[in-house]
Amino acid sequence: MKKKLLSICLLLLAGVSLAIAQSKKITGKVTGDDGLPLPAVSVRLEATNQGVLTNNNGDYEITASAGQVLSFSYIGYTTFKLTISDGSLYNVKLLADTHLLTEVVVKDSYGSLAKKGYTGAASVVNGRQNENKPFSSPMESLQGEVAGLNITSNSGQPGADVQVRLRGVGSIGAGSNPLYVIDGAIINSGDLSSLTTSTNVLAGINQDDIDNITVLKDAAATAIYGSRGSNGVIVINTKKGKNGKTQVRFDTEIGRTNNLPLPEDGKPLTGPQFKELFIEGLRNYGYGDAAIASVSKSYGLNGRYNNWYDLVTRNGSQQQYNLSVSGGSDNTRVFASGGYFKQDATTIGSKLKRINGLLNIDHNISKRVTLNLNINASNIIQNTPTNGGAYANPILAAYFLRPFQLARNDDGSINSKSSGATNFSSTFNPLWLVGNDKNQANITRILSTGSVKWNIWDELNFTSFASIDYDALEENVYNNPIQGDGVSSGGSAYDNYTRYFNFITRNQLDYKYKIGGSEDFTISATVGYEAQKNQAYFLVTNANGFPVSQPTLITSINASVPIQAQASFGNYTFDAIYSRASINFKNKYVLSATYRRDGSSVFGSSSRYGDFYSIGGTWNLDEEDFFRKQSIFSSTKLRSSYGTTGNANFGNNNYYFTQTTAAYGANYGGANGQNFNNIGNPNLTWESAHKFDVGVDFGFFNDRLSFDVDYYHNNINKLIQAVPISLTTGFPTITSNVGAMVNKGFEFEIKGVPVKTKDFTWNTSFNIALNKNTVTQLSDNSPYISGVFRVNEGRDFYTYYMRQYAGVDPANGDALWYTDASKKATTNNYSDAARVAAKQADPKGFGGFNNTFTYKGITLSADVYYNFGNYVFDSFAYYLADGTYLPNNRYQYVYTRRWTTPGQITDVPKVVLGGTNDGESSDISSRFLYKGDYIRLKNLTVGYDFKNIDYLKKAGITRLYLYGRGTNLFTKTYDKHLPFDPEVGVTGISNLEVPQVRTFTIGLNVGL
Amino acid sequence: MKKLYICLSLAAITALASCKKEFLNQSPPAAIPISGAIKTPTDLNEAVNGMYAAMSRTNFFGRDIPILGDLLADNIYISYNNSGRYQSENNYTFTATNGEANDIYSQGYYSILQANRIIAANVASNDDVKQLKGEAYAARALCYLELVNFFAKPYTVDPNADGVPIITAPTSPATAFTKPARAKVSEVYNKIISDLDSAFMLMPEAGTSLHKTNSYYIAKHAVKAIEARVYLYKGDYVNAKTAALDVVNNGGYTLTTADNLVAYWANPSGVSNGMETIFELALTTANNNNFDGLDYFYSQDGYGDALVTKDLYSKYAVTDARKGLIYEGDHLGDPALVNNKYSNVTNPSDKDDIKIIRYAEVLLTLAESYAHTGDNANALIYLNQLAKQRDPAFTGYASTGAQLITDILNERRKELAFEGLRYFDFTRLNLPIDRPQQDDSAPSLENIPVGFNKRILPIPQAEIDANSNTKQNPGY
Repeated sequence: MKKKLLSICLLLLAGVSLAIAQSKKITGKVTGDDGLPLPAVSVRLEATNQGVLTNNNGDYEITASAGQVLSFSYIGYTTFKLTISDGSLYNVKLLADTHLLTEVVVKDSYGSLAKKGYTGAASVVNGRQNENKPFSSPMESLQGEVAGLNITSNSGQPGADVQVRLRGVGSIGAGSNPLYVIDGAIINSGDLSSLTTSTNVLAGINQDDIDNITVLKDAAATAIYGSRGSNGVIVINTKKGKNGKTQVRFDTEIGRTNNLPLPEDGKPLTGPQFKELFIEGLRNYGYGDAAIASVSKSYGLNGRYNNWYDLVTRNGSQQQYNLSVSGGSDNTRVFASGGYFKQDATTIGSKLKRINGLLNIDHNISKRVTLNLNINASNIIQNTPTNGGAYANPILAAYFLRPFQLARNDDGSINSKSSGATNFSSTFNPLWLVGNDKNQANITRILSTGSVKWNIWDELNFTSFASIDYDALEENVYNNPIQGDGVSSGGSAYDNYTRYFNFITRNQLDYKYKIGGSEDFTISATVGYEAQKNQAYFLVTNANGFPVSQPTLITSINASVPIQAQASFGNYTFDAIYSRASINFKNKYVLSATYRRDGSSVFGSSSRYGDFYSIGGTWNLDEEDFFRKQSIFSSTKLRSSYGTTGNANFGNNNYYFTQTTAAYGANYGGANGQNFNNIGNPNLTWESAHKFDVGVDFGFFNDRLSFDVDYYHNNINKLIQAVPISLTTGFPTITSNVGAMVNKGFEFEIKGVPVKTKDFTWNTSFNIALNKNTVTQLSDNSPYISGVFRVNEGRDFYTYYMRQYAGVDPANGDALWYTDASKKATTNNYSDAARVAAKQADPKGFGGFNNTFTYKGITLSADVYYNFGNYVFDSFAYYLADGTYLPNNRYQYVYTRRWTTPGQITDVPKVVLGGTNDGESSDISSRFLYKGDYIRLKNLTVGYDFKNIDYLKKAGITRLYLYGRGTNLFTKTYDKHLPFDPEVGVTGISNLEVPQVRTFTIGLNVGL
Repeated sequence: MKKLYICLSLAAITALASCKKEFLNQSPPAAIPISGAIKTPTDLNEAVNGMYAAMSRTNFFGRDIPILGDLLADNIYISYNNSGRYQSENNYTFTATNGEANDIYSQGYYSILQANRIIAANVASNDDVKQLKGEAYAARALCYLELVNFFAKPYTVDPNADGVPIITAPTSPATAFTKPARAKVSEVYNKIISDLDSAFMLMPEAGTSLHKTNSYYIAKHAVKAIEARVYLYKGDYVNAKTAALDVVNNGGYTLTTADNLVAYWANPSGVSNGMETIFELALTTANNNNFDGLDYFYSQDGYGDALVTKDLYSKYAVTDARKGLIYEGDHLGDPALVNNKYSNVTNPSDKDDIKIIRYAEVLLTLAESYAHTGDNANALIYLNQLAKQRDPAFTGYASTGAQLITDILNERRKELAFEGLRYFDFTRLNLPIDRPQQDDSAPSLENIPVGFNKRILPIPQAEIDANSNTKQNPGY
């Protein structure tokens, strides 16, 4: 008897004692194959509603009678069943599931598919690995965790939009952001703000509420999303309740934020350095001693000075608290959570506070009807300073303001004077603004989904789904009347209200047919209808004239002059039928197909509907007999797909490109005015991608190690391009489907547990993605210039196009440029140098390397992100790189490397008022292009798990984990002259944004 | 039973799937199809407002034109301590990708498009409609005059040189890809003059209740004032004199007193009494160019980058009322001469309008036309009428010949400074531009000789790229 069980189920049953045959108390201990007790194992009595979870010691207790079947299940372990016989003590050892792949489920809006039989390329990131990380949006944590998913932040502002590109930039004129789906609902994503610098609606999602993030990559995975699948789909599935003992979790993490160290070259000059260079610049221009003395006096160069970078930065605080409850019975399961998150960036005036809650209920209405209801609500209050060249930007102030412009008056009060060279007539005093202006967004999101699933009979299900995605943004900007942007208007307030209401309804039939009545050969089919309407509503107000001596009265009700009050709207609709089918033979061969017909208001009346399809196939070689004859691989899966997807991503409120219109609002002298404002293209339709993917997933050593490789080739055509037309038409461009590009590349992912002993475990994952983007077709085959880039057939979309810097003329300190790409001759006349296409802004490769080491209760984990092959451009170097803007402060490297003496070889021209080369010395050139390669230690955590402490068990605490964390602790860059942090966003262009921060936190996880 | 369920479910899906077709028709919030945009005189009036609004933007008359008109000449310069604007013009280093050239060209044709649409509009004619269409003709002429003077050789230098493309019909999706070639300068002038003639003929003699004698709209005799400028730039002094005389005799315009000159400039509202202003573009509290306004660029409460040259300031006698429009102040701590013609930057309830043509210019044009045609006596009458009005202590000019022309030009400079006209006095008369170096200027080119290529702006690179039929100006 004992022996038989072992041989069949690979299970150890230790100790069976006798008891009465009727209903009786069954007890036992569940352990893993390492002998350690497994807590929270679900122990269920089959064919009943009864079930319990094991406690922290792995013990369980349940009432059952002989002949009934007990089922033990636990994530990552093979489910074991046993039939109760005479005994009452059943100790069970669960075996780790060697086939991890089968456990993974790909869940999108239209269903859940086991990864083993899945034909697409998709990555599933378990939410657990990013819980509590001190990033304001889940996408920031995801950086480096998914091969091929390039995530960059151009700002350290908490809550700022994050740029995400899957498998390369996928568009010219439409968006390249992926589609976001939360709990089945297609949501509005990105920056919905209309007034403040940047917001991100995804920042409303608490990472602790995420069960998993699934990234859908290829055609088989994304074609079901039709006209919006081209850029990939990021599916966020939130946590659901589990039946059994109610589990309570409390997590907290608190700490502080610090500046990332500035590269030495990128520090602003100190007071004495500034003075020296300023005088040198005047002298080189021809100023005599008397004139210099006079200017020095008016600029206060002999007085006190301050360090603006230190003044606009600080150490901030970081904290979050999360509480969740999960539990339920067989009929009703609930997950509820609440969270609070607060982060101050290290730039003054930059912070974010979020509260959020999630309630997820599953309920069995009857044997055949189940209900799911999910409500996710959040509120964010975010303060964001202005960025870029705005005079109110504190980071601009750190570089532009002279050390001799004094932040504070002699009496210590903040200097609000605007005339005179030691005060603030152009770039404003950021200390005054942070105390007197307001730049705030208050964002409320309610995302609610509901579905009813009706099991019509065994193999036929009908699901009705509806979702509401409600975003309301209240944005308030106030500019005080004393100093800053509000001076000319006597103080001004801008108050915008933006609301998005996004409603989706979906009805779907799922059917599974067993050929010959066997599970070995099945056909699954899904067909459904989906409609979506997004309604945006905008209120824009502006009022001027505020009471000068009442700094607290800053809402527009206090203003004397109403300037603007506008309401507007923006709607779009989608209407689709979709279907998906697959044939599965013994999980060995799987063939799948999807089809979707999409209609949308976004496109021209003559091309409103599009058809999208995919086919995919999987061959699980490990199910073949021949496979078992080898011992190198423990599993091998071959998969491939081809299909079409579209890109209808025009941002959140820009849907009228197709119409030729006259618009009102061109008012004149207070009366209505209309303009011929848009030349439309009635044939405009979505960009269309033909995606091919082939991948192999290998498992080694009983699948303890997996190696996945994908090759993809995405041919994107009908690219929407703003095609330049003659300006004499009155318009610079007309929007047309003309371009084409190819993204192709490889993705490699290694995951595994190289070492696992009783006390020590090493978990590792490494991924790398190599993408090559090539523009293959443009309107009229003609390249066009876009800022510092030139888009050219045969080249990467983000190819820089600028004059090539040749260093400094040793004879006179002039800047020199190469006359052309051959770099044979140089010139000191900027106009005589030709622009050259060279180097790219998007990385050639990127990825992550994440390791977790566990020794007994101690855990050390380190996440590393890297990217290479890209260049970044310093867009404000024009003002900061030599004497061109002599009255501004400038980079340290000007002080250390400027040309001063004939014969000197250097790369920074002579410092002279107005710059050398007729003022063109710091015009755009490759001088300001830097290698963007870097490796960053994004996250380092050391923690201790207080396991097996009796005192805690008695207190009912099932888990107590204490840890310390640091983020962005170390960054290795590969250009010694790079004056700023290399993470500047997807376009590679720095914009004096709030810098990234480093956090040091202490965290505590408590489970009850 | 099972089949019934399937049928019911499929029926449910089909029912839901049959969304109404209108579901996919979504209209923009503030726009209407172009075909139905102008149907009534009210629509036409709103389109005319839109046309003026387009002309008043920063990248046309709102700032670029008046700044360049003085900066490329000798009235103003950009401080070395600046916000980064107009430096290449200060130093004559602009290239084909120059932002302002692109802006003026684009916004010029955008404004012309608005005018073309009005002229082509099919609205039953009445006095209002005639007046409105007349304004569109005149506005179109004004736009072409700016374009041909910024982007082409002066008529007086070479009437057969490449001008700018002449577009007279509104764009449609079907015509969006046309690539018009540049017309000759003389052809552009002919079109301008014929448009002005059309405007003058269309506009009712007595005016209409619409736009009557309000400086915010082009009135009948304002058309003649514009025409006088056109003929002056063309070097056709006989016709310039005729047009200017019509304004003087029939326009009903007057000059303000010396005492009231500063107050006249400080007034942010339009005039309806014919005082000084013939036509200006309205900028109000709600509709203005804000931080990108002309006023904001001059004012030391704004960017204040453009400063007055010492050379210009020295031209005014102490008793000249116009000297009061410049003050000795400071720019970011450095002593500076500041233009105060646009002083409403910090006025929360109204903003400075953009003066397009004033009566003083017409008088000076008339004087210059007389002088060029040999009538020194009449030239002196109109020249002194203005000069003595501005400077009550001045006894009047009595020069003749070349000296008289020089005096008129100096008076033009003093009178029309910061209104964007000075540069064209150099180009139309083909004179070298001497720009004495200012101590605190951003890099600046001192001498602009006759024949220097950059005396005219480049055709924007974007236009060259999109329109293979457009020839670039020499030297770019």
